[in-house]
Amino acid sequence: MTGPVAPSAATRPVSGSRAADLITRELPGVILRRAVAYGEETMWIARERLVEVCTVLRDHREGRYTLPQFVTAVDWPDREPEEPRFDVVYQLRSLEFNDWCRLIVQVQEDDPSVPTLERVFAGMDWLERETYDLLGIIFTGHHDLKRILMPSDWEGHPLRKDYVSFGEPVAFTHNLDWALPALERPPELTGESR
Amino acid sequence: MGLTTDAAIANPRVVHAQDAGTIALPRVGAGERAAVQSGVVTTTIEQVIQWGRYSSLWPALFGLACCAIEMMAVGASRYDMARFGAEVFRASPRQADVMIVAGRVSQKMAPVLRQIYDQMPEPKWVISMGACASSGGMFNNYAIVQGVDKVVPVDIYLPGCPPRPEGLLDAVIKLQKKIAGERPGSLRG
Amino acid sequence: MTVLPPLEPPPLKDLASEQYEHGREMLGVESGLDSVDLVQLDDSTMELNMGPQHPSTHGVLRLVLELDGEVVKKCKPDVGFLHTGFEKDFERHNYQQCIPYTDRMDYLSPLFNNLGFSLAVEKLLGIEVPLRAQYIRVLMCELTRIASHLLWYGTSALDLGATSPFIYAWRDREKLLDINELVSGVRMHTSFIRVGGLLADVPAEFYNMVNEFVLTFPRLIDQHEMLITKNPIWRERTVGLGPITLDDAMNYGATGPILRACGIPYDLRKAQPYSSYDHFDFDIPIARNGDVYDRYLVRMQEMRESVKIVKQALDNMPDGPVNTTDRRVALPPRNEINTSMESLIHHFKLVTEGMRPPVGQVYQAVESPRGELGFYIVSDGSNRPYRCKVRAPSFSNLSSLPHMVKGELIADVVAVIGSIDIILGDVDR
Repeated sequence: MTGPVAPSAATRPVSGSRAADLITRELPGVILRRAVAYGEETMWIARERLVEVCTVLRDHREGRYTLPQFVTAVDWPDREPEEPRFDVVYQLRSLEFNDWCRLIVQVQEDDPSVPTLERVFAGMDWLERETYDLLGIIFTGHHDLKRILMPSDWEGHPLRKDYVSFGEPVAFTHNLDWALPALERPPELTGESR
Repeated sequence: MGLTTDAAIANPRVVHAQDAGTIALPRVGAGERAAVQSGVVTTTIEQVIQWGRYSSLWPALFGLACCAIEMMAVGASRYDMARFGAEVFRASPRQADVMIVAGRVSQKMAPVLRQIYDQMPEPKWVISMGACASSGGMFNNYAIVQGVDKVVPVDIYLPGCPPRPEGLLDAVIKLQKKIAGERPGSLRG
Repeated sequence: MTVLPPLEPPPLKDLASEQYEHGREMLGVESGLDSVDLVQLDDSTMELNMGPQHPSTHGVLRLVLELDGEVVKKCKPDVGFLHTGFEKDFERHNYQQCIPYTDRMDYLSPLFNNLGFSLAVEKLLGIEVPLRAQYIRVLMCELTRIASHLLWYGTSALDLGATSPFIYAWRDREKLLDINELVSGVRMHTSFIRVGGLLADVPAEFYNMVNEFVLTFPRLIDQHEMLITKNPIWRERTVGLGPITLDDAMNYGATGPILRACGIPYDLRKAQPYSSYDHFDFDIPIARNGDVYDRYLVRMQEMRESVKIVKQALDNMPDGPVNTTDRRVALPPRNEINTSMESLIHHFKLVTEGMRPPVGQVYQAVESPRGELGFYIVSDGSNRPYRCKVRAPSFSNLSSLPHMVKGELIADVVAVIGSIDIILGDVDR
């Protein structure tokens, strides 16, 4: 970091390779799959080993991924039935080695739970609550897993693909016939799911 | 609610000329001006009360989103809302009489907004600042209330995303004109 | 790259304290009076609700404070009062239509949001915009950084009772908004940076306006600093307040000036340069103590560095187009549409459907005034993002607030909130 000018985008090493190599070396067999695209490396790991992997990434002197960037999940309802529906995505940053890495844990629709990381990174507390709120991923062991952005009595998880982001029909002069009576329609007839 | 008997007694029928001269009441005509020069002016209690109301609007210090930044701009150096007597932003709704809803109102914020409105004493007015507050704007989705008029009664709708500071000044002036035309004793909201 | 040395810690005893002591001596007040032991009746604490409507929460933030007397035992922030559903809206709009949405997320630094989103989509498409566009992007972003820091400076000083900085900050901020208006027609939400380049090239008056700003602004920062940097009241209320150690800051995911005030020169503009930031010569200000005062010093110094970048960008501005010629993004030129049916169809498809980046997932971070602003975009090959997650700097920064205010006085909570520089639109999205 304090050396000469950092390498530009073209010559920069693949983000996350350091972490993937480290985990391959330290915890063999944990990484289910590795893929490189757009200069970024992603590793898929099983949820049972998540805490272990993140602890190694944080503490190992060749990793030092000490800063949690974000947690989120991607909903894939159209996947094959036997394939997991949710990709839970974690990104960690290492300031010491100027790198970041991405971890993906896949979970099934009927059991969307992953172990919490709040005891590994303090910042995970809020990040996991946000993911729970918007996507309904359960973080087992979290001390206070409740909604953070939506009202506490809200139903559903808005960022799931099957959650209809209802809006109101907008009345223009050319669609008054359609738009105005629709104000009384039930919400599932209006709006657009995606 | 606005006008009580005490207030009516406290308001004299005769206004000192030096006060009246600085008001620039929209209803002052040539006859009144002549009266001012003579040192005595006759007016009605309604007009004096209206004058008091619209000349010192105290907005509630209540910003929601982007529009709140432009609301700050109106209060700051270049636009200076003090020229229109509305610069005293009160942090407590109990001391405010106009609420500028500056920004998008989320489903979580709507009950809070209503409570703040309820806490304001009568008479009170609402300016819905910006497209989001007026109609939901570009956010036609699950999280945003499609117009603050579903929650509180709105007097002035101000378009723009966000409206320019001049727009807010215009809204304040329009609200002043509206207040000047209201009967003080009438119940509102 | 050079890193500015840590800022000197202020002397422990300053003029104000000395005068205070002197005054007490003159009045004959015993110093023992300050240390009267209050009798604590029992262990019960008081819960105090602060917000969502509160003048110093910078928007709609609610804090539930557990107080022991005036000391904050525990602080539980409640956010979400400005949750707007941006991430759901991204999924319903095509890529260019998302740009106006990004503006309104962190509404004090709209251009950084534009830039982060555009860079992420450009990474998916594998295109690089012309150098002139990159320079104008850098220039406009740095002007936005100054505007954002100015507003922060004004409001956080206002929170502590200083009214003048607010007025002066707005005097200078208006000049920057004028520049925004010149290039895009809008004061705040410019949508100036688009996928594939810019909205348009800058007009001729632009150079004079920016040049005038660059020439005058360093002197104006001196004025701002003169108002409060050495002001005894400001110092009394901020030095040593709300400290956070480097390890804790990283643990909470705090970035930006909070991290740099802890002594680590981590700035994405240097660490992972994007949009030709590696062409510019500038320093990263850091401080040592990680308290409210140091965060203030870091931000003030950052404004000076931004002026340096703007000046370099203005002096070395290359000529050329400001939009990519890649036909997956760029519209065909007019004369081609007039003569070729394929171009006309292409134009029609691009306008009505928009671009279609390839399948994949990318993450692109930029250094916004508040820290690391990142866009994680998952594309399924269609014309709309399948998922777009925004890594909001304010969200992680705010999650460190309970740690910072623990054990502080309740009156100082507003100072700490101000120093984090949260934008609730960024926290709640």
